[in-house]
Amino acid sequence: MIAALIPVDHFLIMFLYALLASSFFALLWRETKRERWKLFATLMASLVLGGLAVAWLMYPFP
Amino acid sequence: MRETTSGGEARAPRRNPIAAAALAWVFPGLGHWYLGKRRLAIAFAVIVTVTFLAGLSFEGRLYTVESGQPLTILATFAVYGAGVLNIAARFLADSPGGTILSPTYEYGCAYLLTGGLMNLLLVLDAWDIASGRKR
Repeated sequence: MIAALIPVDHFLIMFLYALLASSFFALLWRETKRERWKLFATLMASLVLGGLAVAWLMYPFP
Repeated sequence: MRETTSGGEARAPRRNPIAAAALAWVFPGLGHWYLGKRRLAIAFAVIVTVTFLAGLSFEGRLYTVESGQPLTILATFAVYGAGVLNIAARFLADSPGGTILSPTYEYGCAYLLTGGLMNLLLVLDAWDIASGRKR
């Protein structure tokens, strides 16, 4: 199914997760279109960039 | 039919909160559909269903309560939040317990738990809208 479409790639799986979670909370927590886009962008950037930052910090550890 | 507030804003007619919450649990977005929020209902149905199916595709685990593993109680509660999706998956999935050796197993578990928890938030949201706490 979906896994067949997505290669086993940590970044892509994380990106899909961020996309789904950001869309969900933007629709749930905000009323207007503008506010929804703003929250979506904030959450998306936080999840993707935060994930990359944590991965980079953990890189030296086995 | 829509009611109008004193400020002239359109408001969804008051519905039964228990029915709204129950429908929201049965299938993602169904509670919002019942409350007249059709476009939002479709969006929620797509997002939660894709999240849950992705979890199954990534060979995650549909948790069950295990003795001596208290955290499985919380995980089971979260996965059962997905309603019919979870119940159907338990019957139809090749390996409901997940494939622990799969490289995507942990991702699958995270997606399945997230799908269930998202739907539980939709249950609470439908309850709030139906009871007039939220527009």
